[in-house]
Amino acid sequence: MAVTIQRHHRRRFPTGLIAKHVVINLGVAIILLPLIWVLLMSVKSLPESYTTNFWPRQFDFSHYGFVLTRIQTLPQNMFNSIFVTLATVAITTFCAILGGYALVHVRLPGRMLLIWLLIASLFFPTRLLSLISIYEIQRQLGLLNTVVGLIFPYVTLNLAVSILIMRGIFEQLPHELVEASRIDGCGPWRTLFLVLLPLLLNGIVVVSMVNFVGVWGEYLLAVTLTNDQATRTLPVVLASAHSGMGQWAYPRIAAVYVIAVTPGIIIFALFQRLYFKGLTEGAIKL
Amino acid sequence: MTGRTAALAEVTVTYSGEAPMATVASRVASAARTWRSTYRLSDYANVLFLVPATFFFVGWQIYPIIRVFVLSFTDYKYLERNPPNFVGLQNYINALNDPLFHVGMLRAFAFTVAFVPLTILIPLVLAVLIDRVTTPWLSSFYRIILLIPAVIPGPLVFVLWKWLFDFQIGPVNTILVEWLGLFNRQTAPQWLGGTPLSLPAVVIMEVWWGLGYHTMFFLAGLAAIPKDLSEQARIDGANEWQLLWRVTVPRLLPILSILVVLRFGTAMSVIDEYLIFGGFQRTSPTYSWTVYMYDLAFRIGDWLQGYAAAIGWLGAAVMMVFVVGMLYVFRSRD
Repeated sequence: MAVTIQRHHRRRFPTGLIAKHVVINLGVAIILLPLIWVLLMSVKSLPESYTTNFWPRQFDFSHYGFVLTRIQTLPQNMFNSIFVTLATVAITTFCAILGGYALVHVRLPGRMLLIWLLIASLFFPTRLLSLISIYEIQRQLGLLNTVVGLIFPYVTLNLAVSILIMRGIFEQLPHELVEASRIDGCGPWRTLFLVLLPLLLNGIVVVSMVNFVGVWGEYLLAVTLTNDQATRTLPVVLASAHSGMGQWAYPRIAAVYVIAVTPGIIIFALFQRLYFKGLTEGAIKL
Repeated sequence: MTGRTAALAEVTVTYSGEAPMATVASRVASAARTWRSTYRLSDYANVLFLVPATFFFVGWQIYPIIRVFVLSFTDYKYLERNPPNFVGLQNYINALNDPLFHVGMLRAFAFTVAFVPLTILIPLVLAVLIDRVTTPWLSSFYRIILLIPAVIPGPLVFVLWKWLFDFQIGPVNTILVEWLGLFNRQTAPQWLGGTPLSLPAVVIMEVWWGLGYHTMFFLAGLAAIPKDLSEQARIDGANEWQLLWRVTVPRLLPILSILVVLRFGTAMSVIDEYLIFGGFQRTSPTYSWTVYMYDLAFRIGDWLQGYAAAIGWLGAAVMMVFVVGMLYVFRSRD
């Protein structure tokens, strides 16, 4: 028996192994090539950008300086994106911590109903349907065409999933801790902020990442609710800059693109360990 | 469509296949119950914890959705000064007889049917292969690469692929023409601008976007399958294909089914990529019911938001019928 298995393995070994690695590396190449292409595009000279060369003959790093100094609204657009993203991530994380805590550690009427509503909302095209009236609401509140105004609908984009993630994190916390804190005389608010908050790091990282990615690149609401170049965010600028001429020549848009994509990749690289830990801890059973 | 990172989290919060986790959770929950029964603060004061979240939910999700539902029974036009009239079900009747709505739904279904199987099967195969990589550094290298597309926000992925599909400078055509020699520069495919190829272009892009995180997701599921199970099957003479379909896939089925339902939902309500790829050309295969709704609400005439609301709710209702049906089918199989 053992002999036949060994022979079986020896016969299949090379082809199987090679085929496996060919397929995997093909997958890796398919993922990486578009990103490498745009990176190389951002360092091509202007004339070369209209050719089909993959590898630039001559590296030209001037486009990064150009887009940051010569495209007038771009620093403003970047600021808009950073501002909206930081504000939304902070508010959503705060709401999600309180919400997750309420759904686990305090007695709350209608708790299960709320949880089911949150889960059900993940399957419903809320973002699409609410858009029609969000425009009207923003106008009535004087928030149309403002950067601050974007924060309100942005918070709701991933709020349900954020609360569910935080709920999962809270369920993992030892209940003895909460009880000990109660015996020591802490109310539910002080228990949350003084005792539990430091233990929520993984969850905060996951919720922040989810919201960062969702908001940093948000397009539909931004393009609908703002219309001046100065109030636009980076994704809207990038999506509308497609002429390939002048200040929006391909290497220049590519440079803006690289600037827009890099923060996410860096943040993720820094926090990926915490992120995966948080993601598994945040899991719940349906 | 929210961020793909959110999508990953969505699947994780809606389903976790790991039994030990559930036991821990239930133990904690029962401890919680004993603790709660002795707790004295008024239950209703605890609602305060939900006030911040409720403020945003009510203001920018629940109220707008109800408002859109009410509007769908009126002839509301945003730019018109006269107050809207109640028209009963007229908008819904009109929508059901509107060829643009029909074709829009069909386009959404066409995209979904092409996209969902590919975005699940390709990562599944990739995950099964990567799961067998035994060199630790290589396996973590693959995992890091796979995650890169997941941290790129959707619209930025769409912008990138719009350049990749560009007729002149786009590398997709460069590969087809110069590397593979399948076409020449004149006969190269026109991917963008509402040609029939716009739909496959969006499918290819979406599959690329999901390749990393779906693979990662399946890898997490595969890690939960005991290794001796497949060893035993191998000793019993099962080949790799049998192993995949008889041992691995059945074990992944719960995760697979939730993923199918969630992807169905996102695929049917896709809009950002259609706006970026195809704009508002009515003949484009990217002019789906979602784009039609947007077009009606913010561009056509006096902004026919009453009618747009009916289109939106009707589309959502069709989606929900399928979602509930799928959840029912997948559930009864357990």
